[in-house]
Amino acid sequence: MDIRFEKVDFTYQPNTPFEQRALFDINLTIKEGSYTALVGHTGSGKSTLLQHLNALVKPTSGMVEIGDRKIVPETDNKNLKPIRKKVGIVFQFPEAQLFEETVAKDIAFGPKNFGVSEEESRKLAEKMLQQVGLDESYLERSPFELSGGQMRRVAIAGVLAMEPEILVLDEPTAGLDPQGRKEMMEMFLELHEKAGITIVLVTHLMDDVANYADYVYVLEKGQVVKGGAPKEIFQELNWLKEKQLGVPTATEFAERLVAKGVSFGTLPLTADELADKLVSLSGGSAHDE
Amino acid sequence: MMNKLILGRYIPGDSFVHKMDSRAKLVASFYFIGIIFMANNWQTYLLIAAFTLFAVLLSKVDLKFFIRGVRPLIWLILFTVALQIFFTRGGTVYWEWGVLSVTEFGLTNGIFIFCRFVLIIFMSTLLTLTTPPLELSDAIEYLLRPLKVVHFPVHEVSLMLSIALRFVPTLMDETEKIMNAQRARGVDFGEGNLVQKMKAVVPLLIPLFVSSFNRAEELATAMEARGYQGGEGRTKYRVLHWHNRDTLAIIGFILLTVGLVFLRS
Repeated sequence: MDIRFEKVDFTYQPNTPFEQRALFDINLTIKEGSYTALVGHTGSGKSTLLQHLNALVKPTSGMVEIGDRKIVPETDNKNLKPIRKKVGIVFQFPEAQLFEETVAKDIAFGPKNFGVSEEESRKLAEKMLQQVGLDESYLERSPFELSGGQMRRVAIAGVLAMEPEILVLDEPTAGLDPQGRKEMMEMFLELHEKAGITIVLVTHLMDDVANYADYVYVLEKGQVVKGGAPKEIFQELNWLKEKQLGVPTATEFAERLVAKGVSFGTLPLTADELADKLVSLSGGSAHDE
Repeated sequence: MMNKLILGRYIPGDSFVHKMDSRAKLVASFYFIGIIFMANNWQTYLLIAAFTLFAVLLSKVDLKFFIRGVRPLIWLILFTVALQIFFTRGGTVYWEWGVLSVTEFGLTNGIFIFCRFVLIIFMSTLLTLTTPPLELSDAIEYLLRPLKVVHFPVHEVSLMLSIALRFVPTLMDETEKIMNAQRARGVDFGEGNLVQKMKAVVPLLIPLFVSSFNRAEELATAMEARGYQGGEGRTKYRVLHWHNRDTLAIIGFILLTVGLVFLRS
């Protein structure tokens, strides 16, 4: 299932004194089976765009095509549930959405809304809890007595339990410790690779983009200013810095080596790539000496 | 959804009304609501409407905002006006049907009530549009000070008021966020019958309460860490200043009152 944006504009509170335009002429495609990253400075419209992905908001003009459903300004608010089931969104700090008495009930809440039976959703809850790295002993506990990191996991399990085809992640690791961050990102990668879930990642961490994504869209002031594979996007370091966006650590380091006279051809994005290139380079330079 | 609310919004500016002391504005607004009931004929309503319009123009805020402020209350206003028109008797009778009748007195009364509502809303909208909420709570604290004599906790009340005002937009944002998160999990807000609608609110209310509790705890800790120990012996960062323009505004209101007294029938 692809998601396609065609000339999408979005204005908050249209026709009021507080009118504010957030998106301008957005054209982009999120391909089925891709791992797409959306990056941009704070206030560039990422979160607004994200809400279009499962029709939480409708474009002010233009069209969003989600699978075979077309969302236009005139689309009425009924029968959007099938879309919401297919596109799961993990919002920023998702632990704020927990409300049930037990973890199991909270995870099963999503599936039950989409008509899954009590028994089935209970099984889903057990499965998803394991998926996010918590054991069964948590099932009957209250979500409010868990630690922040565990709450986050439960909330994410609640979205995964809907078994979405597309998973949208809005800074899923913000505020987590490095270990938790890594575990979580690896889990999403596993879902992407094994279960074939399409992932849309909104993040400020360029290392995550470099490590996981296969396509990047750069947003600025409500417009898509660039789209391409991370390999291409991260070659133009000065352009990125101009847009106040970060650069992957490995690329930054490679850039410094370039300043000292090392030449790479294309700049590496990840630590592994950097190490490989350095090894092959040192082999090459041994010849010269 | 909640964005349509104009009342309680502040629009920055530097007009005469914006620069007025918040105490003067608050007192004047309440005084205005009091004296509007003195108006009882065409001349007095004309005078008070002209005065309100002058104040609105003085604030340099677009008239659109004021009209939007009236909009949410329009049904209540029309309902009251209709009651007045159909149930007041006296003067020439234009139309009659059972207990219902349209009479001369009824019509004039209806129009007067309409004017009264609109003018009061205009004036209170003017107050909130031109005064930052925190200044309003400062003004309330100042004006409540005499109540200290009867051991009314003035500082505590005004502290609660300013914290409450500060967190209204934050909580609204939070509500919006949680609503979106739950909608993404398949909740339909505002659909189905009454019971279903009420049930749909639970996944919104509980997280909102929980986050308010957490926020309160964090805020209290942060305040204590910064040395807050209660109202005794505190100094003020924002000091209210009474200027000539405030006296001028008060004189304006006195003149209005005098005018009303003369024109009253």
